[in-house]
Amino acid sequence: MNEPRDLVEHFFRHEFGRLVAVLTRSLGVRRLELVEDVVQAALVQALETWSRRGVPEDPAGWLYRTARNLAIDALRRERTHAQALPRLAEDAEREAAGSGDPRRALEAHFADEIGDEPLRLLFVCCHEAVPAESRVALALKTLCGFSTAEIARALLTTDANVQKRIERARDRLRELDVDFDTPAAAQLGARLDAVLAVVYLLFSQGCHVTHGDMPIRRDLCAEARRLARMLAAQSVGDVPTVHALLALMCFHAARFDARVDLDGAIVLLEEQDRSAWNWSDVREGMAWLARSAVGDELTRYHVEAGIAWEHCRAPTFADTDWRRIAELYDTLDRIAPSPLHALGRAVAEANLHGPQAGLERLAAVPPESVPARYPGWHAVIGELHFRLGRHSAAERAWREALRLTTARADRDFLRRRLAICRPDIGEPAND
Amino acid sequence: MPKYLFIFRHSTDPQSRPSPEEMQILGGQWYAWMQKFSASILPGGDGLKPGGRLLKGGIVTDGPYVEAKEFVASFSLIQADNYDAAVAIARECPGDNVIEIRELGGYA
Repeated sequence: MNEPRDLVEHFFRHEFGRLVAVLTRSLGVRRLELVEDVVQAALVQALETWSRRGVPEDPAGWLYRTARNLAIDALRRERTHAQALPRLAEDAEREAAGSGDPRRALEAHFADEIGDEPLRLLFVCCHEAVPAESRVALALKTLCGFSTAEIARALLTTDANVQKRIERARDRLRELDVDFDTPAAAQLGARLDAVLAVVYLLFSQGCHVTHGDMPIRRDLCAEARRLARMLAAQSVGDVPTVHALLALMCFHAARFDARVDLDGAIVLLEEQDRSAWNWSDVREGMAWLARSAVGDELTRYHVEAGIAWEHCRAPTFADTDWRRIAELYDTLDRIAPSPLHALGRAVAEANLHGPQAGLERLAAVPPESVPARYPGWHAVIGELHFRLGRHSAAERAWREALRLTTARADRDFLRRRLAICRPDIGEPAND
Repeated sequence: MPKYLFIFRHSTDPQSRPSPEEMQILGGQWYAWMQKFSASILPGGDGLKPGGRLLKGGIVTDGPYVEAKEFVASFSLIQADNYDAAVAIARECPGDNVIEIRELGGYA
């Protein structure tokens, strides 16, 4: 028995998605809610048992057995002997009969069952009958094990809204009795955009953790890349859009080590040690980028990969080709208008023509589309004011950013910035 | 030294459940709590599997979880000098638990 702290990081969340995918295959998509319930209950049981008695040798197998038995109990209670029951019960009996080593049988089962399940479940979540705004929420909930609150922060919306979206998605999947096993290739193609949106969001969530202690959740980023690579290995996903997304994720991942210092604090791009960038990630990204440059479709992933590539290829911050980056942001905002792209464009502008030009760009964004609750918006405004020597304005913006920030590393970063603000000379002291 | 039964209750509202990530953190905190008070926590505590049977007036039903707002999820036996000391231990218990603390009669 091991101590609970021996569990790999994010073990629970990772196993949650895996188990939901595996059990959904046995029980059917219409039982998604039941599946989530039993997996959740299995995790609670693990928490109770493991903290008292230590972690079993095969925690994943323990969770699988517990969740499966809970599912069998639940189905028996309902007395609806769904097709799934024999399938699961058979599995349990095989294990009870246990010819030789039951753990070996289970491992074989795992190896056989898991394979592409998470990817399959992702395509189910992105079913065309599920309202578009519900797909991402459902995928983050079922596949990634995020809480409603975490999803709300990721999607810049409210808990209640996320809850509503997830319920709507589940209702639709139940009504249609969607099949887990056999979505036709044509349908897969139609769902690809939504699938990529989820993968990218998962990756971004990993890069910009919105709460908690970790500045970067590498496991989320790794899972997103794993899903995308798996996708690129299927015929439906071996397309330039997927290659572009992979390139983009590689270029970002290359900079992870340099983005955080030894104390876990955030390091600004201009202060990063570029030799600490992961050049094998950069090379992988370049290979994907080359493969993505075919066909006549220019997607947001292509453009974003281009921006990330510009950063990677600049030998120093001062050598960054901001003109090229500004052009790419203009293109990006045309393809996929977003205030966040305007923000990136303003940063490029500030580096080209000075902080005042950047602020003017931001001021030109229509007030109704300003993401007032997005801390990065205020952080950039603070930075630009600070560079102009307007410390009071910088302080106001940074305070607003701090108010909206829950992630510890981001809060520490903003506090450090606030600490360097001095009252402006010539301004009244009570400002 | 008096003994106390800690009865841990969880909400049945799915919304109040921790996310897998929060659970992982809770696991570590819970373990730390058990370590810190290992001298006070007596063997015999356990978690309870969900579901159960309810025998009432000769009739057996599934339960008691169906309509309850809270259900008993686990229990621990604690030895402490008095209620204040027992409550102090409970206070440090991680998570958003409802903990019922009862002194054992010592009749058996």
